[in-house]
Amino acid sequence: MTMQAETGRTRRFPINIETISNYVVIGAFCAMLVFFAAFAPGFLSGENLYNVISNRVVLLAIVALGMTIVIAAGGIDLSVGVSMDLSSMVFIMLIAAGLGGFVGVLGGLGAALCVGLLNAVLINKLKINPFLATLGVLFIGQSVQRLSTQGGVPIYLTRAEFAAPFNAIVRSSLLGIPTPMIVLALCLVAVYLAMHRSVFGRYVAALGVQADVARFSGIRVLFHMSMVFVACAVLAGISGILLSSTVRSYVPFAGDSFLLDAIGATFIGTAISSERRPSVVGTLLGVLLLAVMRNGLLLMGYNFFWQQVGIGVLVFVVLGLSFGLRKRAD
Amino acid sequence: MTTTIDAPNGREGQLNSGNLSKLAIRLGAFAAFAGIVIYFAIAARGFTSPFNLTNIVEQSTILGLLAFGVTVVFIGTGTDVQRGGIDLSIAANAGLCAAVYAVLMRQGFGDAVSIVAAIATGMIIGLLNGLAVVTLRIIPLLATLAVMNIAAGLELVLTENTVIPVQSPLLQVIAFGRFLGISTLAWCFIVISVLLIWALQYSPLGLRLYAVGGHHEAARAAGIRTGRYVYAAYIFAGFMAGVTSILIVSRLSASTTGTGLMLLPILAAALLGTVFSRRFIPTIGGTLLAALFIGVLANGFQLLGISSYWVAGVQGVLILCVVAMTSFAKRD
Repeated sequence: MTMQAETGRTRRFPINIETISNYVVIGAFCAMLVFFAAFAPGFLSGENLYNVISNRVVLLAIVALGMTIVIAAGGIDLSVGVSMDLSSMVFIMLIAAGLGGFVGVLGGLGAALCVGLLNAVLINKLKINPFLATLGVLFIGQSVQRLSTQGGVPIYLTRAEFAAPFNAIVRSSLLGIPTPMIVLALCLVAVYLAMHRSVFGRYVAALGVQADVARFSGIRVLFHMSMVFVACAVLAGISGILLSSTVRSYVPFAGDSFLLDAIGATFIGTAISSERRPSVVGTLLGVLLLAVMRNGLLLMGYNFFWQQVGIGVLVFVVLGLSFGLRKRAD
Repeated sequence: MTTTIDAPNGREGQLNSGNLSKLAIRLGAFAAFAGIVIYFAIAARGFTSPFNLTNIVEQSTILGLLAFGVTVVFIGTGTDVQRGGIDLSIAANAGLCAAVYAVLMRQGFGDAVSIVAAIATGMIIGLLNGLAVVTLRIIPLLATLAVMNIAAGLELVLTENTVIPVQSPLLQVIAFGRFLGISTLAWCFIVISVLLIWALQYSPLGLRLYAVGGHHEAARAAGIRTGRYVYAAYIFAGFMAGVTSILIVSRLSASTTGTGLMLLPILAAALLGTVFSRRFIPTIGGTLLAALFIGVLANGFQLLGISSYWVAGVQGVLILCVVAMTSFAKRD
C-alpha cells in the first residue's frame, strides 16, 4: 500500500488515476449520448431533445440547484417537495380566484419562502439536525396539503378562461428561447455567481467543510445557514410554479418525486470535482445524466420499471468507478 | 481536573444544579412520551384496554423492525446523515423481498424455500450497499439511493405493479396466531427487540460496532477490522428487510406496492430514537421507544376521531418539539 502511494506521488505524468477518476462521469455521459444516438430511435431529433430539456431537465435542475447550495453548506433539505407543492398550490389557487398571474407567482414564491424560513428557524434557532427538521416540515407540509384540498383532490384549471397566465409563463419566448429555459439560465447564473464567485459562496463552502472552524473564524453561521435554506426553498418554489403552469393544474404531492432525484443529481455532480464537493456544473451534469438515461431507455422501449433499475445500475457503476479509482489514488 | 479542585464551594453547587437541569432536559423526551400516553389514557376511550395496547405494538412492529435495521447502520457508521452512513434502500428492499416471497409462493415453492429466498434477497441487497460504501467508497447517501432505485425497480419488474395475494398456513399463524394472549406479530417484535438489545448494548460485538461508528480511525488503530463491521451492518439491515417482508405479506395477505413509501417514517423513527438515549446516540431501545411513540400517536389520534388529514402534521410538530427540546440539552 505505501509502495503504491509513493510511486503515485513520484510519478511525473500529469495524468494519473486520480485525475482520470474526475472525468469518469463526464466520460459516461458522453458514452451514453453516443450509445443512445446509435441505438435509441429518434433520440437525436430536435423535437426529442427539446422535450427532454423542457420536461425533465428544467424542473429538476432548478430544484437540484437549491439542493446543491444546501449540501455544499453541509446540510440537506428533505422538504423541497413541500416547497414545490405549496408554491404550486398557492399559485393555482390565486389564479383560480381570478387574481391573475403576477399575484399568483408572488403568492407561490411567498409560500415557498415561508417553508424556507420555517426550516431556517428550526435548524438555526432550535438547533435541530437538518435531516430531522426538514423531515418534520415534510410531514407538516403533507398535512397542510391534505387539509387544503379535502384529502388530496387535484385542482385542474384547463378551461380557456384561465389559459392566459399559464401561456404567459410557459408558452412565451424571448429571442426564440422559451421562458422556462430563460428562467433556468437565470437561476444557473445566479447560483453559480453566488456559490463560486462570491464571498457568500466561500462562507457556504467553509460551513460545509468545517462548521466549527467557520464559527471560530467569525463567519455569521446563523445568517448564512438561514440564507441557504431560504434560497433552496425559493428555487424549489420557482420550479413548482413552472410545473403547475406546464400542466395547468395542482396535483398534491407531485413535488415528492423530485426530492431523491435532486439529491442524486447533486451527489453525482460531486464526482467531477477532485475534492468531491458539490458544484453548479456538476449538478447540471447529474441532472442531464438522469434525464438522458430515462429518455433513452424509454425510446428503446423499456418501461418505467426498467428505467428505475437502469438508473440505479448506472449511478452505481459510474460512481463506483469514479470513487473506486480515487481510493486507489490516495 | 485542577479547576474543579480550585473551584469554591458555591460554584460547585451551581454546577450540580446545572447538572440537575440538564438531567431534567435529558429526561424530557421520556416525559413528553409519558405525558402523551397519559393524555390519551384519559381522553381517548379504550386506549388502555389490553386489546388496544397489543394493537399498538402490532402496528409499530413493521416500522420498528425496519427502523432497527437502519439503527444498526447508524451505530456502525455514525448519524451524520451527509458524511456518515445511512440506508435509504431498506424500505424498497423490504418491498422487493415481499415480491420475491409472493412470486415464489404463487409458483408453488413452499414456505421454507420462499422465506429463505426472500431473506437471501434482502441480504444480497445489503451486500450491494456494503460493496458500494466500503469497497467502492461511494458516499452512503448516494450509494444506497442507487441501490434503492435498483431494488424498487426490480420489485416493479417482478410484480408488474400489481397486488399479489398469498396464502399459507404459516402466514395464517403469523397474522392470527396468539400465544399468552399476545399475537405472533407482537411476539416477533418483542423477541427481536430483546435479542438486538442484548447483541448491541451488552455484547462485545455491539461495543466494537459502536467503536467503529464512533471513531472510524481510532477503531481501526485499536485493531478492529472496520470494513467488515460496516459490511455486516448493511447486510444485517438487508436481513431485517427480508424478515420484515414476511410479516408485511402476512399482515396484508399479499405483496403490495408502495412499501418504499415507508422510507421517511423509518428514518424518522431511527433518528428520533437518538433522543430516547442518555447520550443522544442511536440505540435499539431508543428506536423501539420511538417506533412505539409514532404508533401511539397514530393510534391515539384514531381513537380521538381526529381527521387523518391532521395526523402527519401533528406527528411532524411533535417530533420537532421533542427533538428541539433535547437539542438544547445536547448543546451543553
